[in-house]
Amino acid sequence: MKEIKVENRREGNILSRVFDELNEFCRARSLFILHYCTGCGAIELPPVMTSRFDMERLGVQPMVTPRQADILLITGYVSIKTLKRVMLTYEQMGSPKYVIGICSCTVNGGMYWQSYATAKKLDEYMPVDLYIAGCMPRPEAIISGLRSLIRNIELGESNNWKKYYENYDYYLGNQQKLFGDEWQTPVDVIGEAEHYGLVGEGTYGEHTEILQRVQQPLKPLEMRL
Amino acid sequence: MDTQIFTEISLSEILVELLLMPVIAFLVGLVMVLWMRKIGARVQRRIGPPLFQPLYDVVKLFGKKTQVSHGVVHDIGIVMAMGGYIAAETLLPVPGMNGIAVYGGIITLTYLMMIPSLGLALGVGQCANPNGSIGISRALTAMLAYDIPFVIIVFGVAFHHETTNLVEIITQQQQAGIASWGAVQNPLLALAGLATLQGMLGKQPFEIYIAPAEIATGPMVEMSGKYLGGLFVMQAFQLYTAAVLYVSLFLGGGESWFELLAKSFVVVSIPMMIAFVFPRYRTEDLVRLFWKWPVMIGLLGVAFVG
Amino acid sequence: MSEFLFELNMLDSLLLLSAVTVAIAILCRVEYISGGVVTLLYLAQLVVVGMMISAGGVFSSHLTPQLFGYELGWLLDGLGLYFTLITVGSALLATLYMAGEWGRRYREQGKSFRALQSLLALNVFTMQLLLASSDLLSLFISWELASWAAFALMALSGGKGLKAALHYMIYAFSGAMLVFAVVAWIATTAVTAAYQLDINGAGILQFSSVAELMQQGIFTIPEQLLMLTLLLIGFGIKMGLLPFHLWQAPAYALSIGPAGAFLGAISSRLGLFAIIVVLFKIFGSITDGSILQSSFGFEFASVTPKTLLAWIAVATIIFPTFVAMRQNDARHLLAWHGIGQGGYMLLGLVMMDSLGSAGGLLHVFNHATYQAALFLAVTSVIYRTGTADLNRLGGLVVRMPLSFMTLLIGIIGLAGLPPMNGFVSKWLVYRSLLDQGELLLFVGAVIGTLGTILSVYKLIHNMFLGSLRKEHEEVREVSWSMLTPMLILSALILLTGLFPGIPLQWVAQGLSAVGLPVAEFNLGGVMADGGSLDMVIVSMVLFSGFGVAALIFYFVGGKSKRVNPLDNYAGGHFLYASNRYHYSNNFYAGLMHLIKPWYKNTFQRLERVVVTLLELTAESLSRLYMRPHSNQLALIIVVLLLW
Repeated sequence: MKEIKVENRREGNILSRVFDELNEFCRARSLFILHYCTGCGAIELPPVMTSRFDMERLGVQPMVTPRQADILLITGYVSIKTLKRVMLTYEQMGSPKYVIGICSCTVNGGMYWQSYATAKKLDEYMPVDLYIAGCMPRPEAIISGLRSLIRNIELGESNNWKKYYENYDYYLGNQQKLFGDEWQTPVDVIGEAEHYGLVGEGTYGEHTEILQRVQQPLKPLEMRL
Repeated sequence: MDTQIFTEISLSEILVELLLMPVIAFLVGLVMVLWMRKIGARVQRRIGPPLFQPLYDVVKLFGKKTQVSHGVVHDIGIVMAMGGYIAAETLLPVPGMNGIAVYGGIITLTYLMMIPSLGLALGVGQCANPNGSIGISRALTAMLAYDIPFVIIVFGVAFHHETTNLVEIITQQQQAGIASWGAVQNPLLALAGLATLQGMLGKQPFEIYIAPAEIATGPMVEMSGKYLGGLFVMQAFQLYTAAVLYVSLFLGGGESWFELLAKSFVVVSIPMMIAFVFPRYRTEDLVRLFWKWPVMIGLLGVAFVG
Repeated sequence: MSEFLFELNMLDSLLLLSAVTVAIAILCRVEYISGGVVTLLYLAQLVVVGMMISAGGVFSSHLTPQLFGYELGWLLDGLGLYFTLITVGSALLATLYMAGEWGRRYREQGKSFRALQSLLALNVFTMQLLLASSDLLSLFISWELASWAAFALMALSGGKGLKAALHYMIYAFSGAMLVFAVVAWIATTAVTAAYQLDINGAGILQFSSVAELMQQGIFTIPEQLLMLTLLLIGFGIKMGLLPFHLWQAPAYALSIGPAGAFLGAISSRLGLFAIIVVLFKIFGSITDGSILQSSFGFEFASVTPKTLLAWIAVATIIFPTFVAMRQNDARHLLAWHGIGQGGYMLLGLVMMDSLGSAGGLLHVFNHATYQAALFLAVTSVIYRTGTADLNRLGGLVVRMPLSFMTLLIGIIGLAGLPPMNGFVSKWLVYRSLLDQGELLLFVGAVIGTLGTILSVYKLIHNMFLGSLRKEHEEVREVSWSMLTPMLILSALILLTGLFPGIPLQWVAQGLSAVGLPVAEFNLGGVMADGGSLDMVIVSMVLFSGFGVAALIFYFVGGKSKRVNPLDNYAGGHFLYASNRYHYSNNFYAGLMHLIKPWYKNTFQRLERVVVTLLELTAESLSRLYMRPHSNQLALIIVVLLLW
């Protein structure tokens, strides 16, 4: 994957810059979290949410569906079958969105390193903003991880969600390696990139060509008279 | 009486009021959301969110870069949900501002408050998600349950004051002092009102239509970005409306903003305190409960209305 | 003859026009022309009615035949005009709907468009005769004519519809018998009374003279009460009052689309019209209970006919509404609601104060507009998809947006939410109940409204929202000839909701014609002590609220992308077009879990008991005259009777 420089330049006039600043300020302080509890790390989350560590004081609260969430929290090893669902969930989230991988398993497969059925490195399939390593990380580590994510967002340095659109071909290629060429989610990522002006150098490529060949059409139902 | 009111109001004044009332309602509503979350946190021995948390949430949601729409009705539904409450606030008199309360009255307000729910129901319907549809079917059932005691209360209060005009109801209570407050005159109605409030705000034990672990927050299941933001706005309005309406009917409204807000925050605290120590009822149990106790208390209360 | 023509007044010309419409509908064999011509004729009728309303006053026809020595007369006052306006209006829109593409398809299916057209025209004509009747005999005759015409129109659909129509006919016939019995009773007694009271014998059956007879005490109070009860049952059957409502929903639901819209909008309101005549023109003093109190020694105030009727009205609101909630066919659902809404009209009217009676009568107009709109929208869906089964539709909003809009406006009206017209009339009824301190009636009326909200959301959700079925991908919106009446009706629902003063003006004429108090109203609503309503201001604020919300939503909020329905949350599962991801069956499962055991089909059982009893009687009687020597038996009976 070509490393794409994350642009920190602000666009537009002063007024819209102020709005962007405000947006980022609020975005860093209001994070809805969707925990995709795949493995043992899930057990560390209840203390994070409840009275011992209380993540709500950071503005982080749990949400239920990907539509509502800002953070996708993956708490352990990801089997290939699970990864399909994780991909769908990730794609259904609204941008700006952030991915946190908890436990060593999401970093390098951890103790499932030798398993044929486990996806080893999560960031081959989706851009991960933050890893919290450990087997399993303590709630303190999770809180401090959340804090550093918040700091990154506020500084405007956490724009990994754009990478998924701009480098879609790379991620799709890795997914196709695992799932085969027939792979597609019901989410029209390329259409989204075009709609929101997020097309980058790596959006199209050989893998998206394969996708477009096999893909079931995903046009929205237009209202017609 | 009425004709005097009709002529006294000048157009510019009313326009200012129409603008101000929803804005104030929204801001107070946000503080109430914070209040509610803080109470929840304290009941669970947490610290809870920072001061501006509700505002951060709304701004963030409206500032989302990508969000899905399932069609025109999905959009219109959210517009109706917000717009209906924006309009409803002008029917709710507050200190110094009557808005258009004299042209509507409490029956109109009751029915106007159903417009946002209808809008939400339409929007959710278009999402084509069965979780959402189930949520709406439960929410409407809950409405059928708590609105029956609610109309009994409305009837009792309007019959007691011999008017449906909210301005008149508040004035009557304020002129004769605490002894004439609805809560003192008709304590049973006020009690039934509290139960209704719990249902109207959709707080535990009556939040089966949200049921996050079962139907994935029901109506909110497909709401992303500004769609969810619209619902957050609606929630702020809803808290404000329910609290101020209760205060107007039973606690003599407010002669000053301080008085009104103090009373309203006390009123919203009650459902919150109850909410965070309860699990939830199933739909049919919810209906049975509302049709039994609050209705009985309400009917008894009306029987005592002289 | 020429002299007669020159003397035609407006009522004569209206009836003549109506008769001509029937004649043309029957005679015109070129069916694609007749649709347009008949529509134009209805338009002409509407213009005449409009002229009569703006002229005001009472119009009497030159048509005064004599029958059995009684003079029959036709006379249209404010009340009749109001109902005539609704009748002609709904007929016009129903005909407009079927004049174009709908009628073409109907003919292509090998059905007789001419029969449909002429039966509809016949219905309108007979209904006009009924609405203009000025005495008991003309009322009865036109009542019979209208019943038969309605029967023919219902029966035209054949099959189950024919069965439902026969069901109706049995009910209508027994009702008519009761009415006839009372008319005959009054007629026989009245002739002798006429000499005593020095009234013109030929005009003795006129409503005013009959009311005079009642007041003079020609009939005792119990006799009058019996008459009132018989008449109320007779006319209440047509209106679908509980417990005589069973015929109505299937009969209207199964009749042919636009005809169903017409029947649902106005036909059963004729019963209400006749009840108003009976209650307020003939038995006015009994209705309010004043005579009862003075003539019976004990306190009678608790059970006056007024309270009894009000409770019947509330029962008529609640039970059919909750039956409607369980229907799985859109037309049946609407038809059941039609019965329930009739309850609001009667409830308002028997309150007999200025707000309630205005609300009750206004609801007739409002109901006609939204019921016609709803029936036409459903007919459009049937036209395109072939079904009205709520479990076999869904997601049609993207294919039939204008039908969706009509249905949406219609259901907001039916549910009685602002800013549509249904809210205004219900508000008036609520206010009147509040003023009179009728808590339980008030709560009953509101339960009906809440039940309606639940049931209409199910209607719109299962048809137009949710996921689109594969077989409906290629469905298109209906043609403009069908959309035009639907859109006109939607505009009417909205406009009369914004400016209720317009229909209230006609209502006021109707109320003053029967001597009921008239509320003080302006263009935007009603001014009354203890709380007013101004819909102009309320709706203006509501729409500006929507406007502000739209500004926030579209300009403050970011861009959104329309997505495919398969891109939907399913707990991480992948959705495929072959799996239906839709919730429609047993829509209010939680509620039904509680209230399902409360549906006991009591009225069906009651009906079956009556039918069985009748069958038993008929059987035993037939045994009697089927015996050998039956002629001797007959002789004995005749002798006994003569003796």
